[in-house]
Amino acid sequence: MQNSFIARNPSVLWFLAALGLFTFGVTILSEATGLGLISTSFVKTLGKTLCLCLIAIAMDVVWGYCGILSLGHFAFFGIGGYAIGMWLMYARTETIVLESLAGQNIPATPQEISDAIGNQIFGVVGSSDFPAIWAFADSLVLQLAMVVLMPGLLALVFGWLAFRSRVTGVYLSILTQAMTLALSLYLFQNDSGLRGNNGLSGLQNIPGFEATPQATISIIFFLASAFALGAGYLFFAWVISGKMGSVVQGIRDNEARVRFLGYQVESYKLFIFTITAIVSGIAGALYYPQAGIINPGEIAPIASIYLAVWVAIGGRGRLYGAVIGAAFVSLLSSWFTGGGAPNVNLGFYTIQWTDWWLVLLGLSFVVVTLYFPKGIGGLFDYLVRKPS
Amino acid sequence: MRILLSAFVFMFCAMAASAQDLQSLLQDNADDIAKPSRNSIGVVLDQMVATGLPQVPAFLEQWSDKNVWQDDITGTFFMATEADDTLTLTDIDTGAETTVPSDGFTQLKPNGGVRRVIGTALVQFQLIDPDTTRRAAALESIARRPEASQLAPLMASLEGETDPALLARKQNLITILSARFAEDPADRIAAIEALAEETSVETRAVLNQILATKPGVATDLPDANIAAQHDPMTGPDGYYAALVAADLATPLTTPDDIRAAMEANIIDGRVGGVPTAQLDTDAARARAYATLAAAGTVPPLVGIPERDNALNTHVFFDTYTEDDPAITTAARNALDQVETAVALAQTVDLGLDALSLASIYFLAAIGLAITFGVMGVINMAHGEFIMMGAYTGYVIQLFVPDYTIAIIIALPTAFAITFAAGVTMERLVIRHLYHRPLETLLATFGISIALQQLAKNIFGTQARPLTSPAWLDGAWIISDVIQISYIRIAIFIMALFFLALILFILKRTRLGLEVRAVTQNPGMAASMGINPDRINMLTFGLGSGIAGIAGVAIGLYAKVTSEMGADYIVQSFMTVVVGGVGNVWGTLAGASLIGGLQKGIEWFNPSNTLAAQTYMILFIILFIQFRPKGIVALKGRAAAD
Amino acid sequence: MRFSLKLTALTTASLLATTAIASAECADPIKVGVLHSLSGSMAISETTLKDVMLMLVEQQNAAGGVLGCELEAVVVDPASDWPLFAEKARELLTVHEVDVIFGNWTSVSRKSVLPVIEELNGLLFYPVQYEGEESSKNVFYTGAAPNQQAIPAVDYFLEELGVEKFALLGTDYVYPRTTNNILESYLIDNGIAAEDIFVNYTPFGHSDWATIVGDVVALGEDGKQVGVISTINGDANIGFYKELAAADVSADDIPVVAFSVGEEELSGLDTSNLVGHLAAWNYFQSADTDVNAEFIAAWKEFAGEERVTNDPMEAHYIGFNMWVNAVTAAETTDVDAVRAAMYGQEFPNLTGGTAVMLPNHHLAKPVLIGEITAEGQFDIISQTSEVPGDAWTDFLPESAVLTSDWKDLGCGMYNTETETCVQLTSNY
Repeated sequence: MQNSFIARNPSVLWFLAALGLFTFGVTILSEATGLGLISTSFVKTLGKTLCLCLIAIAMDVVWGYCGILSLGHFAFFGIGGYAIGMWLMYARTETIVLESLAGQNIPATPQEISDAIGNQIFGVVGSSDFPAIWAFADSLVLQLAMVVLMPGLLALVFGWLAFRSRVTGVYLSILTQAMTLALSLYLFQNDSGLRGNNGLSGLQNIPGFEATPQATISIIFFLASAFALGAGYLFFAWVISGKMGSVVQGIRDNEARVRFLGYQVESYKLFIFTITAIVSGIAGALYYPQAGIINPGEIAPIASIYLAVWVAIGGRGRLYGAVIGAAFVSLLSSWFTGGGAPNVNLGFYTIQWTDWWLVLLGLSFVVVTLYFPKGIGGLFDYLVRKPS
Repeated sequence: MRILLSAFVFMFCAMAASAQDLQSLLQDNADDIAKPSRNSIGVVLDQMVATGLPQVPAFLEQWSDKNVWQDDITGTFFMATEADDTLTLTDIDTGAETTVPSDGFTQLKPNGGVRRVIGTALVQFQLIDPDTTRRAAALESIARRPEASQLAPLMASLEGETDPALLARKQNLITILSARFAEDPADRIAAIEALAEETSVETRAVLNQILATKPGVATDLPDANIAAQHDPMTGPDGYYAALVAADLATPLTTPDDIRAAMEANIIDGRVGGVPTAQLDTDAARARAYATLAAAGTVPPLVGIPERDNALNTHVFFDTYTEDDPAITTAARNALDQVETAVALAQTVDLGLDALSLASIYFLAAIGLAITFGVMGVINMAHGEFIMMGAYTGYVIQLFVPDYTIAIIIALPTAFAITFAAGVTMERLVIRHLYHRPLETLLATFGISIALQQLAKNIFGTQARPLTSPAWLDGAWIISDVIQISYIRIAIFIMALFFLALILFILKRTRLGLEVRAVTQNPGMAASMGINPDRINMLTFGLGSGIAGIAGVAIGLYAKVTSEMGADYIVQSFMTVVVGGVGNVWGTLAGASLIGGLQKGIEWFNPSNTLAAQTYMILFIILFIQFRPKGIVALKGRAAAD
Repeated sequence: MRFSLKLTALTTASLLATTAIASAECADPIKVGVLHSLSGSMAISETTLKDVMLMLVEQQNAAGGVLGCELEAVVVDPASDWPLFAEKARELLTVHEVDVIFGNWTSVSRKSVLPVIEELNGLLFYPVQYEGEESSKNVFYTGAAPNQQAIPAVDYFLEELGVEKFALLGTDYVYPRTTNNILESYLIDNGIAAEDIFVNYTPFGHSDWATIVGDVVALGEDGKQVGVISTINGDANIGFYKELAAADVSADDIPVVAFSVGEEELSGLDTSNLVGHLAAWNYFQSADTDVNAEFIAAWKEFAGEERVTNDPMEAHYIGFNMWVNAVTAAETTDVDAVRAAMYGQEFPNLTGGTAVMLPNHHLAKPVLIGEITAEGQFDIISQTSEVPGDAWTDFLPESAVLTSDWKDLGCGMYNTETETCVQLTSNY
């Protein structure tokens, strides 16, 4: 079974091999294990990019294969990040609080410890009580379960409501956008209990590993992200290659016909929507400890639109296309905005790419949509076909 | 009468004038004049007024307007006006003018609190001043700081008043002052009853001040004008705190107190016989504390039972500061009546705000609705067309200094520019993507980010001013509660105008007929000789053009930034989707629903506007579940998608 | 030389040294990191600070650099993206190896940078007024703490204007939230009843202000003098002030004091209807001193005639010059040595008086209150003597017991009750 699946999808093997090679190369060159040719900050960038690739393939499955243009998948990504962030903050603060309380004559009561942690975490945003939402924050296992459950449940409920009333096409896109906007506005409120606009910060400091240098932590997270991307790729490739995949692509191409053939279209869509949401959540949970901070701005509608942009530029309907798009655009973007690109002097005007990069990105996006609907991934078709 | 009064004032002045000149009085209080404070300046003002010098009112006015300067060396005060580093000094007493360079002089800047006290001091001079603006200023000062002493002069000034508006205002103020300060209770009650007819903030302020209460606590209810009695169990901690503050009880023993007691009484690693290591639970600490309390080392524990016991043996009440129950009863009745009227007025005001918000949403969304409805194309760059319109207005104001003319030019120019931009976009991009609606969404998004960044590169990230003409300043004030700014009314009228215009175009013109035909069945329309290409282009241009006009309107009431479009785009989508695609009435219904809903939720939770927006979006998500095609569903090309 | 003042602290050698000699003397230039957003929503405020840093570095180089070395500004763009701030800070410290960073505007961006700066032992100068409740070993706060802006402004309201009822309007984020918490507590201590304090939070960029302004006007219904304390941020102020003007709320009836509205924000507005409303800062462009006149002239020459100066610019001006003096005194750019040399550093304010760096990494600065004029400037009507910045406010019970003293106690979060150091890192 596994053999035949791989045999039918040679690109999966190619991708996994390339990913493995890349991961190996970066690890060797990093500061943690060897030559130090790649700085820790760049390892973090690469690790984050891998997480973005993971959510991009989830987006590709839901859009490129199932035809649902979700403009809200970053909501699930953010929820995953918040879920792990809560534990990271709680556990780190608990260590600090216990240390500072240790020297006292009278041992602290559980209530006093909890108050002190609450004061540390929420003092900076002008409150000190623990909201109910933090009930499980002291348990890594439960919060890890949240990483999977929260995005899954939200996607399940939202998808069930939306697909049940046959909201499709542009309407559905707008609705998913509304969902992520509502979530980010909710989180922006201080009353939401997740520190409002400040969000959760200091996530790169892993509790229990305070002494471990960031060089090591960054490479561990890089490896974990690479592993998650590989596993996610394999999983999605498997999902879309079987009969299930055919039905899903049928829904994309003509939903009514698939329905008339007797398939439960809503269930298929719901399954895909939920499973991609869960993968997005996992990607987020790996991303934010590397970014160091999560706040509601991350979930703003624009992020999810960019996700669609990556997938479109990379090439929809092929998983490696999504990976290429996410990696290419996000890295290029940081190269341009980081001042890496040389300015172009036109004589009468100097083009500074920090100012003009977004204009270029926007226009190139129009061009890709108009003339290269297959995206960068389409180039591979060209390369593969040429020898024959 | 007025002549008589002024003659009296002049006589009084003449008598006192001989005493001293104003400058020497100012010099005696030089520090207070140069660095005045609200609390200390009253004495000096009283002295100045008491001199009765004729130059006092003029000096006070100039001082209040920051036109008094002090010589840094001699400390002499002058009234002065500054122009190009030179000062035209006017001697305070003689009125002699000299011109000097402004170096070496310091401008006196009395703060707002001091200016208000000066205003009160000026009242007696200004009330009978021939200049109506001065009399109006005096009345404003009285309204800001009502005092008992003002009642008599105010009544006296009534007779000579010629200006009908000021006369009405004076009578109004007399009622307000009488309600609080009249000697005869019957006069007060009559005034209070007269106030019951009004809803102004001033009226409510007066009634509330008459009804001011102070909380009290005692073992038995005292014989006083009691406003209310409270059940302490409704908020035991708060009432207990009052009891403690009145020295009628000892404070509750807090966990911190217990902890402090533990720390202070560690003997051989034990507290009250309990090993310190075990003191990590509240129960253990309570035990230890009980032992300590029994031994008398710490005060006895004051817990919940003790608190409740103390609360039950006391009465908690509010007493009116006004002793006469007849007056408080009258005021209470009047206030109840006023508050009913205010509640009604607030509802109306909320309705107006909602209407205004709805009209803004409508203007922002209608262009989108047309293009979406007719072409099934969602234009993510719609917000940027709004922004382009607003920047057009800004640029025109740079060149045309007259704001009225600028707006008149800006509206059609904004329309023309965004119309052209819309047509260009349709020709270059959108028409290639008619069969791929989801991709138009992405392509137009690309245009949106490019345009946004372009605007930043050209105009910078700073918000730009778009100023409304003077005749749109201010608000239409129906009462203190119901008011709406003229600019919002203008936007509302504009929205109505475009509603009518679009309905007219769609229903009464050849173009509209063709547009409707293409909307319903493009293939059939084409075979009837309609050029769908041309219709699409024109529709897109029209939709974009209206967005440009909406941009001018929004810029006038809010701000012009490169990101302003993004603020409205999601709201506009919601409006279109909730209303139902491709229908003007649908958009109107959607805008009304969203505007009304947002204001309604804000009203329930006035301290958190963000929550209102969140709940509104949640509502929309749920609403779409039940009416997936919006309020006004339509059949045709758009409905098929 | 325009900035003659800072020359006094330099050695004669460096005075004589030309830039060319300076660069010959030392192998590498001293690198000054500038971490301000040049794109995104915060670019509006932060680009100006980047420009001011470039100007200060240029002037310092013209004056012979520092320790005989030339200064080099390393500018990066964190693009108003908070995680990117952390990434760029790490890049500045590890890849570019800068000796000091001047940067950040929003609190959330500072919180994002803190763990990185503390991990890598960097040095950050933070120039914006903020909510306090923080003291990092690696950050010098040259902007105002709440007791250097908010509390004096409220005192002014209470004493000078006799305000009895307060509307605290703010944008929903950490600075207004914390500041309003402190103010509520402070007002209640000063005898204002809890029901006389109205608090409202609005989202960033809020534009629909009619209802809120109506609510504020209605607060006057019990005859008490109403005042508004505004921590409304950025663009949202424009809509707010327009609505205020439309509702004809004069400063005599309901004064508004703003903590986030400076000369830059007013340039987006027609201020003729707002005359008399207030702002509290440590600096106004209208401050009438010779150094300020020189600074404004230099700035206009450097950046353009129409540009205005504001409070965070002065904070960078003081911070940069103090750093230069500290490096000169320590004779090295080593962070620990410079930090030790920073305590007690003095430098003249642009508004008069002298700013002093305290052991809690905050400045002692005067507090100014200005009234908005029709020209879009501020008329200074009140100026206090220097107020020492307080990292942990005295008006919230949890932080009243905390103190910060990096010089003697070596702790930024020291509990004076239990006499223990709560933590050495900062609370991010």
